Amino acid sequence: MIDTLLQTLLNGAASGGVYALVALGYTLIFSVLGVINFAQGALFSLGGYLTYLLLGGKIGVNGALPGWGLPIELPFWLALLLAALGSGAVGLLVERIAFAPLRRRGAEPLLSLITSLGAGVVLVNLLQLLMGAEGYAFPQAAAGLAHLPESLLLGGARIRTIQVLLLVISALAVASLSLWLERSRSGKAMRAVAEDPTTATLLGINSVAVVRLAFLLSGMLAGLGGGLIGMSVSLAGPYFGISYGLKGLAVLVLGGLGSVPGAIVGGLVMGLAEALIPSEASGWRDALAFAILFAVLVLRPSGLLGRRQLEKV
Amino acid sequence: MIDNGLLVQMILGALLGLSVYLPMAAGQLSLATPAFYAVGGTLAALLSTQGNAQSAISLWAVLGEMLLAGCLTAGLALLVGLPVLRLRGIYLAIATIALVEIVRVAILNLPFTGGAAGIFGIPQPFQKPFGYVLFSGALLAVCGWLFQRLEASRLGRSMAAIRDDELASRCMGIHTTRVKLTAFLASAVLAGITGVIAAHYLNTWNARQGSFDVAITTLAFVILGGSRSWLGPVIGGLLLTALPELLRPVGDLRLVLFGLVILLGPVFFPQGLITPALLERLGRWKP
Amino acid sequence: MLRSGGLSPTDPLVARRRGNARLAAAVAGALALLAFLGRSSDPAAQRLNPEAPLTLGAALALTGNANLYGQDQRMGISLAQGWLEAQPHPRRVALQLEDGASDEPSAIAAFNLLIRRGVIALIGPTLSQQAFAADPIAQRQGVPVVAPSNTAKGIPQIGSFISRVSAQSSVIAPLSIDEALRREPTTRRVAVFFAQDDAYSTAKTAIFQKVLAARGLKPVSIQRTQLADNDFQNPITAALQQRPQLVVISAQAMDGGNLIRQLRELGYRGQIVVGNGLNTPNIYPICQRWCDGVLIAQAYSPELNTPVNLAFRRLFAEANQGRTPGQIAAQAWTAYQVVFEAIQRVQKRGGFEGLTLGEARQQLMKELLSGRYDTPLGPIRFRPDGEVVQGRFYVAKVRMDSTGRNGRFTLVREQELPEGTP
Repeated sequence: MIDTLLQTLLNGAASGGVYALVALGYTLIFSVLGVINFAQGALFSLGGYLTYLLLGGKIGVNGALPGWGLPIELPFWLALLLAALGSGAVGLLVERIAFAPLRRRGAEPLLSLITSLGAGVVLVNLLQLLMGAEGYAFPQAAAGLAHLPESLLLGGARIRTIQVLLLVISALAVASLSLWLERSRSGKAMRAVAEDPTTATLLGINSVAVVRLAFLLSGMLAGLGGGLIGMSVSLAGPYFGISYGLKGLAVLVLGGLGSVPGAIVGGLVMGLAEALIPSEASGWRDALAFAILFAVLVLRPSGLLGRRQLEKV
Repeated sequence: MIDNGLLVQMILGALLGLSVYLPMAAGQLSLATPAFYAVGGTLAALLSTQGNAQSAISLWAVLGEMLLAGCLTAGLALLVGLPVLRLRGIYLAIATIALVEIVRVAILNLPFTGGAAGIFGIPQPFQKPFGYVLFSGALLAVCGWLFQRLEASRLGRSMAAIRDDELASRCMGIHTTRVKLTAFLASAVLAGITGVIAAHYLNTWNARQGSFDVAITTLAFVILGGSRSWLGPVIGGLLLTALPELLRPVGDLRLVLFGLVILLGPVFFPQGLITPALLERLGRWKP
Repeated sequence: MLRSGGLSPTDPLVARRRGNARLAAAVAGALALLAFLGRSSDPAAQRLNPEAPLTLGAALALTGNANLYGQDQRMGISLAQGWLEAQPHPRRVALQLEDGASDEPSAIAAFNLLIRRGVIALIGPTLSQQAFAADPIAQRQGVPVVAPSNTAKGIPQIGSFISRVSAQSSVIAPLSIDEALRREPTTRRVAVFFAQDDAYSTAKTAIFQKVLAARGLKPVSIQRTQLADNDFQNPITAALQQRPQLVVISAQAMDGGNLIRQLRELGYRGQIVVGNGLNTPNIYPICQRWCDGVLIAQAYSPELNTPVNLAFRRLFAEANQGRTPGQIAAQAWTAYQVVFEAIQRVQKRGGFEGLTLGEARQQLMKELLSGRYDTPLGPIRFRPDGEVVQGRFYVAKVRMDSTGRNGRFTLVREQELPEGTP
């Protein structure tokens, strides 16, 4: 009984950590711009593929250049970091093409729902043209995991070693991000813009730079998540990031749109809720996530930890 | 280039675009259309495959299904609309996306909807796609007439007022909740009866028909077509449904190009293709 | 905005409304024109040109989330095309390949497009759900369809023009379960996993569970997963708490491969039986060394030692860096081969002479169903309703090499089914 409970908690934490990572990517952008970047799921996929290529992986037979690969084989840590930077750079590009022109023209913010989704469609289909639809798995030796056992037994509950690693890295990433937001100059600037863009501009904060920074960081988070997930469960085709993107959206609202601690708590709550579903009802799992989301929106629209008030009507 | 089959899909796209446009005309960004579309389609699929397998069905039976689907979706919309329409902007959008996903999972898991394979062998009211063109085209024409009347009516003006400024319109004595709910109900009913036609046209129905992807695609109809006049979503729906088919000659690149259109369309036409200015110029034009 | 009454003709609102009405009329006119122009959609009444090649249409999922299968199918079909072109054949055959994507409307559009271009027969679509949408259209217009990969119940029953070369799983499933029980006769506790949003997997698991019940085994745990799932920590730990001795999985390559890997990593050591959704080398890179030992029921075995299968294997390896082909590619090859050979037989006896396209399609369908074919799947023929009758089925065990990235399906049992039992 205790074992089962522990196992459930562990399962919930393992998937919840990933959800939180995805939701954080949305959160950063939402907090400064009040919009959702639907290209986030595609950036997630991109991070996975970049990591794979940087690890020395070759393109499969269905890709544009079968058998081609980068002439380098980086260690996992470095590959992950570079892939995150790469996704961050593409995130910046998405901002330049899909968001910036709309903001300059003062167009309705909801237009960016469509443009960012278009950017996602382009990205995913380019990935498919280049890499093909096949699955890719990372070389296990790369992460230095070959000498560790495949799974760990923690007080009667079992978890795969790679997921513990995944959880630790996500936690580190989230912690350093929070610390950076709290302490650094640019972090403070970002929070100021999130709080009140007009006042922030009056205070001499360059809001354009802050927005770009938010896109860079959230792209990096997506890339990091994609690389980590790829390591844990391999890349199941260019669409694999999209389902994480949708789940991340639910977590985003659950925690409170734009709240960093909310995204983390929301992710864990969502992971735990899914782990608690009995097997007989597991077909309803995805409905549960959105039912919780629905209930939260109707009962407490600001989310679990949201601080922003809804627009006054 | 465009055969009757594709034309039917384009008209269905235009009808779904109108369904998304209705709440938006009252300032509400609701993406619930695919949920009601799925409910309507499932209802039609269930009703028309009861009893002995048959390949034909009378037009009256289809009209009956549409009536039932209209009632069912209206009831659902009433149930959902009251709590949901208190939300605004992106919150409403996300809540309605959640609704779409819940309905999708429910259709997948309910014991009588055929699971993943769905319901198949749906009987046909028409022998040829041309029949569907006439039928859905007639529905679109009726909708167009109603929308044209609506925009000049009291209700239409109330909707436009709420869209411009909800607080001010309430001060002017407009019963905002009732107006918003009416738009939401009408949108649900339109999506539901479109689902009925789609189920017959597609010969089969399953949970995948009403998904998040459909929510975004139908929103794109309105955004690219233009959300200031009912003709915007109609033209957006017609064009965007045809586009992937017209792009076939480019082969593997076609979805990349489709994505580029969605990405760059709003950047170059922030008001959509059909703008008020364009309509005004067209109205003043004397041949 | 609430102005009313006293509107002058120059009022922008009035002008806008009039513009709206004018544009609406233009759109209505355009639609009517399109409807009129697009009316004649099928050249079935035209006479065949005896010199021209006959066109075969294929609508495969080259985009969308089923494109992994579509790409394998494209490979299988183009290899078959190359191989058959090199054989002597009296009638030239051309191939038109269209993207049927992974959704129902696209499959319908692709079928309509190909029929309008005057194809003599169709191969596709990739998914069973798409077949339920698109096949009735071909049926109504009398165009023969050979499905390369639809395994759901009821596909050939859509109509007299619909057939498939993909055997239904009911034939294959018992073989693999029996093999597992033969190896471990004391097995009592069985856990079942299936992808509940996939038509193929839900059909397959129903058959697996029926076989288990017939052997007196009640599953101790049934876990439902989704096709798009990557992480199976929840269902696996729940199932492992029931201490299963045998795990039966119905899934597709990606999710199934991941599931196997995670089962092993989480400490499951018993036997694993999988459905033939995983009968593809695409699983090797996913579950790597953890694939080793998995039992699989196959409708296609690369080990089959016949000239046509050896040719298929050789051509596939040449085109794919030495890989061995999987079931999806083999079935696509078979679909093309079946139609191609039927065309040649009709041509040889002069059966296409003086026919219209519509009549030729009927002739071809009759010939298709009555023939016997030696394919990479082994000898096959069709039941009168279009269901494939396949003589041989196989149970294979996955053997991974020492790198853990490449492997092969080694044949452990081959079963000849008596003639006539589907």
